[in-house]
Amino acid sequence: MSKSQQADIPYGTLDLLILKTLNSMGTMHGYGLARRIEKVSGDALQLSQGSVYPALIRLQQEGWISAEWGVSETNRKVRFYSLTRAGRKQLEVEVANWHKANALVARFLEALP
Amino acid sequence: MTARRALARLAALVRKRDLEQDLEFDIAAHLELAERDALARGVSPEEARQSARKMFGGVEQMKEAHREHRGIAWMDTLIRDVRYGVASLVRSPGFTAAVISVLALGIGANVAMFSLVDAVLLKPLPFPEPDRIVRVWEAPRPGITNATSTLDFLDWARLATKFEAIAAEIPVSAALTADGEAVRLSGKAVTSEYFHVFGVGTQTGRTFTSEEGKAGAPRVVVISNAVWKTRFNSDPGILSRVMVLDGEPHQVIGVLPPGAFDRDQARFWKNLVFTPDQYLRDSHWLLVHARLRAGVTLAQARGQMRAIHSELDSVTPQFERNWKIEVESLTRLLAGDNLRRSISILFGAVVLVLLIACANVVNLLLAKGAARRKEIGIRAALGASRGRLAAQLLTEGLVLCLLGGAAGLAVAIVLIRAAAPYLVDSIPYTANLMVDYRVFGFGAAAALGVGLLVGALPALQISAGNPGLVLGNAPRGSSGSHQRMRRFVVVAEVALSLVLICGAFLLFRSLANLQQIETGVRIENVITMAVDLPVQRYPTVETAAAFYEAVASRIRNIPGVRETGVSTHLPLQWIANGEAVQAPGVKELINIRFKRVDAGYFQTMGIPLIAGRGIDQRDRLGARRVVVINEALAKRLADIAAMSNPVGRTVTLYCPRYVERGAREEQTDIVGVIRSERVANPGMPDPPVAYVPLAQVPATGIKILVRTQAAPSSVVSGVRQVLRQIDANVPIGEIATMEEIREKTLTGVSRPAWLIGAFAVVSAALAAIGLFGVLSQAVTQRRREIGIRMALGARSHEVISYVVRNAISVISIGLVLGMAGTFALTRVLNSLLYKVSPLDPMALAEACAAMLVIGLAAAFIPASRAARVDPASTLREEG
Repeated sequence: MSKSQQADIPYGTLDLLILKTLNSMGTMHGYGLARRIEKVSGDALQLSQGSVYPALIRLQQEGWISAEWGVSETNRKVRFYSLTRAGRKQLEVEVANWHKANALVARFLEALP
Repeated sequence: MTARRALARLAALVRKRDLEQDLEFDIAAHLELAERDALARGVSPEEARQSARKMFGGVEQMKEAHREHRGIAWMDTLIRDVRYGVASLVRSPGFTAAVISVLALGIGANVAMFSLVDAVLLKPLPFPEPDRIVRVWEAPRPGITNATSTLDFLDWARLATKFEAIAAEIPVSAALTADGEAVRLSGKAVTSEYFHVFGVGTQTGRTFTSEEGKAGAPRVVVISNAVWKTRFNSDPGILSRVMVLDGEPHQVIGVLPPGAFDRDQARFWKNLVFTPDQYLRDSHWLLVHARLRAGVTLAQARGQMRAIHSELDSVTPQFERNWKIEVESLTRLLAGDNLRRSISILFGAVVLVLLIACANVVNLLLAKGAARRKEIGIRAALGASRGRLAAQLLTEGLVLCLLGGAAGLAVAIVLIRAAAPYLVDSIPYTANLMVDYRVFGFGAAAALGVGLLVGALPALQISAGNPGLVLGNAPRGSSGSHQRMRRFVVVAEVALSLVLICGAFLLFRSLANLQQIETGVRIENVITMAVDLPVQRYPTVETAAAFYEAVASRIRNIPGVRETGVSTHLPLQWIANGEAVQAPGVKELINIRFKRVDAGYFQTMGIPLIAGRGIDQRDRLGARRVVVINEALAKRLADIAAMSNPVGRTVTLYCPRYVERGAREEQTDIVGVIRSERVANPGMPDPPVAYVPLAQVPATGIKILVRTQAAPSSVVSGVRQVLRQIDANVPIGEIATMEEIREKTLTGVSRPAWLIGAFAVVSAALAAIGLFGVLSQAVTQRRREIGIRMALGARSHEVISYVVRNAISVISIGLVLGMAGTFALTRVLNSLLYKVSPLDPMALAEACAAMLVIGLAAAFIPASRAARVDPASTLREEG
């Protein structure tokens, strides 16, 4: 795939992608999470894998995800993240918001010549 | 942001190291996993590592983003700056100690002074709804406070509807016999609503009932918490105890809670029951306080009281009809205008000291800034923005000032502890001098303000210059703009100090004037003792007179005693008015001060006779009544009754009765005129005084005056012994030498004078240190120049004069500015000055000379160092 077809992550949606991924995949570490997001997007996303970490600490501080120490496939100490009950609720809110925003933009695009 | 996240971000600041560590683990694991996956795709290990890094993105940027997301960026920076600031302070301990001690001194003095201002002027009185507490009195003339008569008080209590409670009090003192030793205890006799007026209840027991104000009521007493603790050992069964006051048992009915009343002079409050002979309208003896009803203003209460007064016109004695009733809030009366003014002046002075301390710290910081230019240049060259550098310097200043503030608070606590015993007499009992959260807050605010002030200047200077350029010429080390700024700061210090020194010199000059005022009495080697006769043991005039005679004759025989006298009032002590004299055929009464003395008084105090004779042994009870008058009264008699030669004339004298209230008219012969002794405060005209033989008009409260051959304290034990032999149940009150009493009359002026003097010394010392610093630095920087001059033939005295000229230029600019400040400010001292103009040229000239001498002394060391510069070595050093 050529570079020109790759897209930046829409602003503010990384949180949503992480929450959604954790919801469907269960517990995972940072690398797994980043890879999963890339894979689902069909490699259409321009994601610096490192950028999940600032998002993860933020979500953790909000209490939407929790972290637990575990061991990676390469036998290294690493944190595994999972969705909390509050996180599940937040995901519903964010999904609803996303649909709302999408619908709004879509209406504009249809209405204007 | 949710509250939860905000908390988490705050916590992140503290857990910084852990969080960084955790992130490192994640990153390491992430890169390894990515590398493994890349290897699995079949690329070389080197390519795998590169690919993993590429996919990850910038590690450092991510870390920075991580920090930003999880923490609070500016807090992080602040913490780093504080840490850096502390480190740099620790590196130069001498500098740090100097700055902190200067600040501790300045801030400490200010905090201590603030606690005084707060206690006396700012805090509300320590009673519920203090604005409603008022004092009520009759004013014969505006500004004169007169006590109230029994009948007037009872009428007020009956007719005044604007008061929720009204109460009268009189000071009493009683002998409390405990463990065989009689002690004198001050107290008050009060009417039943007294504690209601102040809104104070009891901790144990109750206060007075209205029944206890009526005739035939039992004797009861309420005691202060301090007395309960000290005299009764906090006895929980206190309510069953009886206090024997002047031989009369008083049932204890209540103990007050700890607080303001513990600082009052009174230790006990007993119920005031008027006796039939006290129902008078012309005997003024009561002090009246009242509590306004909710919502009633002072003006309304005053209006009603004046209406009541005119209603009572028909029964009011002739001479009191044009008196005005005054109602004034207690708050205003307790912190009177004089006290208010003195405290404000002192606070102003101490703020000046703080400003000078700030100037000194700025000076030190600038000096340090000059030395650090290289370091700052390097940091700038490495990419620190000017804003960052300035913020960092400001932070450093703040750290210094907070440390200085903490030290200052400690200084303040010490100062307050040390000063409190000396101040209790000068401040109202309602003021509690202590360090509380308000004083603490003031200290913190002062430290912060000072921090911003002293941190801002060096910071501004850094950010205004171009720090990057410094690197180029750093080794030269001299900077014109630094030097200029520091000289400017020293000029300001000299100017501010001069204002304080001028104030101190003016006050000391005034104090000297006051001390030279003729007191009219010989005060050397005289000791005085207060004695109160218990009325029960001395119920009649005869018994009292016999006591005085025994005292005088037996004290005279004690070895070391030259003369002794007895009087109702100490010399130099204020005598309340209330008595009057009437010349024959003249309707007008002359208000006089009434003083009762024995035959030894005039001799003991060295008061000379002008005409006639003094009081002697012939003037006993039952003999023809006589009076000796002072010059002021003789002059009044001459003015009003055309009595140019008063000796031998007979006048009507209103004499107070023994124990009972009221006065009795007595036909009295004037037998002598004495030169006026001082009665009023220094600087006030002598009032008319009538001296009446103590034997003819005895009193229960007397003062024994003893002139000794050696040190006055040597006879105290002998006098005590004699008194005990005469009557062991008579307690001895306050003992003081006349010197101490004279000092006391001057405290209103001497305390501010000494305090401002101390402030002036401190600030002059600070200014001198500042000047010393600037001159030393100038000499160090110009060593080369001085060396060249000397190599070219300059003599050492020329070099010295160069440094001294430098000093004089700084000092004289400071003096000129300081004089301007003095002209503007010293007029606030006017009320404290006696026979000294606030612009007294001598005092101001002396102050300038003192500042100049101090300044030149500060220049001496740098100058002599300059003179010792060795031209050869300086030239080699940097050649």
